[in-house]
Amino acid sequence: MFSKKGHKPPRLADWLVSNLIGDEYLEEFFGDLQEIYEDRLASKSRAYAWCMYWVDALHLLFGFTSFKLFKTQNNTIMLKSMFIIAWRNAIRQKQFTVLNLLGLTIGISISLTIGLYVYNESNFDEFLTEKDRIYRVNQPDIWNEWTEMSSTTGPNVATALRAEIAEFEEVTRILVMGNQFTRYSAESTKAKTFKELRFHLAEENFFKVFDYEFLQGNPATALAAPMNLVVTETTAKRYFGTTDALGKSIEVKDWDGSWKTYVVTAVLADLPSQSHLQFDMLASLTSNQEQMDYHSWKWIWTAFSTYVLVNEGADIDALTDKLQTIPPKYAPPTTERIFNQSYEEFTAGNPWKLELQPVTDIYLGVSPSQNAFGPVGNAQVVQIFAAIGVVILLLSCINFINLSTARSANRAKEVGVRKVLGSQRGTLVRQFVFESVLFVAIGTLLALVVVNSALNWFNIVAERELSLIPWLSQPSFLLILLLFVLGLGILSGGYPAFYLSSFKPIAVIKGQLSKGNKGKSFRNALVVFQFTISICLIICSLFVQKQLRYASTIDLGLTEENLLQIHNIEQFGFNSEPIKTALSGLAAVSEIGKSFGIPPNVGSGDRYRSTEPNAPVLQLSNLRVDEDYLDVIDVSFLSGRNFDIERPADKYRVILNEEAIKLLGWNAEDAIGRSIAVASGNEDEFKVIGVVKDFNFQSTKTGILPLILLHHGNDRVWDYGAGLSYYTLRLKPSAVQTSDNLRVLINDSEAILKGIDQSIPFEFSFMDQQFEDSFRNEQRMGAVLNFFTLMAMVIACLGLFGLAAYSAEQRTKELSIRKVLGAKTSQLTLLFSTGFIKLVGLSILVSVPLAYWLVNIWLEGFAYRTPIQVGVFALAALISLLIAIFTTGYQSLYVASKNPVDTLKSE
Amino acid sequence: MKNKGLGEFEELVLLAVCILKGEAYGINVKKEVEKHSGRSVLLGAVHITLYRLQDKGLLTSEMGGNTEKRGDRRKRLFEITTEGMKQLEAAQDVRQKMWSLIPQLNSGQ
Repeated sequence: MFSKKGHKPPRLADWLVSNLIGDEYLEEFFGDLQEIYEDRLASKSRAYAWCMYWVDALHLLFGFTSFKLFKTQNNTIMLKSMFIIAWRNAIRQKQFTVLNLLGLTIGISISLTIGLYVYNESNFDEFLTEKDRIYRVNQPDIWNEWTEMSSTTGPNVATALRAEIAEFEEVTRILVMGNQFTRYSAESTKAKTFKELRFHLAEENFFKVFDYEFLQGNPATALAAPMNLVVTETTAKRYFGTTDALGKSIEVKDWDGSWKTYVVTAVLADLPSQSHLQFDMLASLTSNQEQMDYHSWKWIWTAFSTYVLVNEGADIDALTDKLQTIPPKYAPPTTERIFNQSYEEFTAGNPWKLELQPVTDIYLGVSPSQNAFGPVGNAQVVQIFAAIGVVILLLSCINFINLSTARSANRAKEVGVRKVLGSQRGTLVRQFVFESVLFVAIGTLLALVVVNSALNWFNIVAERELSLIPWLSQPSFLLILLLFVLGLGILSGGYPAFYLSSFKPIAVIKGQLSKGNKGKSFRNALVVFQFTISICLIICSLFVQKQLRYASTIDLGLTEENLLQIHNIEQFGFNSEPIKTALSGLAAVSEIGKSFGIPPNVGSGDRYRSTEPNAPVLQLSNLRVDEDYLDVIDVSFLSGRNFDIERPADKYRVILNEEAIKLLGWNAEDAIGRSIAVASGNEDEFKVIGVVKDFNFQSTKTGILPLILLHHGNDRVWDYGAGLSYYTLRLKPSAVQTSDNLRVLINDSEAILKGIDQSIPFEFSFMDQQFEDSFRNEQRMGAVLNFFTLMAMVIACLGLFGLAAYSAEQRTKELSIRKVLGAKTSQLTLLFSTGFIKLVGLSILVSVPLAYWLVNIWLEGFAYRTPIQVGVFALAALISLLIAIFTTGYQSLYVASKNPVDTLKSE
Repeated sequence: MKNKGLGEFEELVLLAVCILKGEAYGINVKKEVEKHSGRSVLLGAVHITLYRLQDKGLLTSEMGGNTEKRGDRRKRLFEITTEGMKQLEAAQDVRQKMWSLIPQLNSGQ
């Protein structure tokens, strides 16, 4: 083809040019390319000529590509013929076609969905303009283990940073306010009341750091004055029915029951869901000036998150070092005035380190694990899902390659005949590659349709707002799809294409070819791989289910069934006795008690110590209860007694749990009569009157922490009068058997509360449901994992079924001859199946240790772990074996029961 | 499109075709442009421009003149059309007119 002298120009470049550029240009272009190549060879080095040939060829490609793949001399006819052949083959082997497409579509759909999910999770806060310069300041969790980091800091941190560090362009704080009751009254209508869960206070410069989209108002002044309020679009519509809300006022209930009026100064577009900060209302921090003036020097009012915008090009490591000088300089007043301890005593050797966390790392960051202002992601779940996505895609690709290679062996004769009739090798290769690319393309398109319609379901289960449509206009996404289609198509079509087209036609037609045996061990390895993965997934999802069941059956130490909890009691003011009396009058209620927290969500705590000399300081969770509450939830006493309404002195006495006395070094008997005090210099001593058996007041994900139970009237502990309170009602099981009973009961309770104060929202919960809900994430993950496991198994089975079918076809004659020679159908079936069963057996051997390792890692995150039992592994092995036998069994029976006459007569 | 005038590179290519007079094909044109402009030009750029000019009706072409060096392939030889000539002249006129209006040059006389 080319001139003999000199080095040959790159063949691949020629191939690309000849395939991608219109034929009318080719003679001229190849001529020019050749000529200039010779020129360059003569004057410059070979390598230069070779490189420049590529450059020129690619340049021509970009200029003249008509993007018609596999163009040939009479390309439309050829293309049509390739289509026809592909179609006929697909129809002739319907079973293969369906299996192939099904496996591929399932695999691509799942990995695409997971891909969208993983992308969503790993791209939080990317919309912020200054995302590379925004950091959150974290400090150790001074209330528990100092080793954990906390996202919230005291108000003085921001002040100190402003005074000491010049490298911050902005320092801003946001203060969590908890639930707020609000009302809005338009002229001539009744006031609307709301309970706002996402109401925060922020500083004037907040929007300089977080540039959310403003619909109305000015970011620079929106939070400039006291009583300014910024609301989101949805919130504005909820209150006013319109986003045109500037100047309207909303009243917010203060802690003393009075109403403070805020004026709307800006309306934000709804926050992107991929934001770690979420709020409905943001008020100016100066609205709370009185409290700020009083407490702003404190380092222990850890209800703020502090964010900084660092100067461009600042060295973060050096800055972090510099930050460490701040706490020793600014925190001592806090420890001395509040805890009567020096800074060194308070920290007890733990460094009070300040840490800068990039804003884009917050959502998926492992530490700190909490975020007071919005959602936290779970990096572990994202990693598990990503791994599953990759594995499932791999499984379905393997499937596709396996089935395609097996199937192509059947076409050896076709190849032979076509060669005899003058087909070039290139034409044959093109045909095979074309077919598999076509298959992958169809599978991918189907997957896009499937994903688009299944995303709704996924969004509900995973509580996300994923969408495929916007991606379809992203060039990079389309490029990835295209590369995937071409890549998998060429990979899976390439092997049979080159292998088959190398056959000597005469050998093929004579039948001298050991059909498809080549590559058999490769295919077997792939099957083993597929089953290993599937069995692993089966074992893991069995354990996830087992763990979830286990967590919901452990003895909580209290009787959580039939407990109705009524919320917002704190809104009724101090004297809630009338409510108690009225509620206990309901026929279905057997007992009623008040508490200032409800399991499993008892979160507050403080530092205590025993009053004995040199006693260590202990972190205890605390729960305020009335005299009846412990009886209502059915907690049992190890020693001592409950609070007694007849003994007024009980107001300043306390009850501890087992864990607490263990940490104090006491035992249940000698604990009674000893005293404990809040470790903050306040010398009030509280006598212990009882010890309760440990009960779970938090999710069973964590173990039971030390707990102190305070009398609801104890006004010598700082949190007296603050916080939320609840009434818990023990229902008579017989009275709430039907959902109608329950509905009536709830309506009656609501009527009672509304009768006392119409404006307070009525909310309730059931304790058993709340314990269950604390495992919602795990349950959701479990459900999704189950589904993925099922799909992986389906894919693996499709693969096995396909191979069995193929092998059945190959071995028909062998089995028939065996039959003629006297083998029984049952023997043949066994003979045929054993090969496959062996593969699955091998997979089981490989997957068991792998799954054991994975399950162990996952279970480590739980305080109560289900034992790892051999039975589960055996069950998974049995399941997979049964599935494998069932899958191959049909084929083997079909082959073994064929009449030898039918199969042997043709030769 | 028609009144858009010639691009700078298009003009160079057209001029090269005129100079080469019947011998203008890809590589020749490339060399000619390189020789006069002193910059190096990619073959593909020349081809793309040649075909664009042909689409605009400023050039015509036919195949011919195979040599051994090209592996016995023919070249596509380009010729300028009357329309092409007109556009070249028009471009030249515009320039001439504008040059004559530059004050420094006039006062230098």
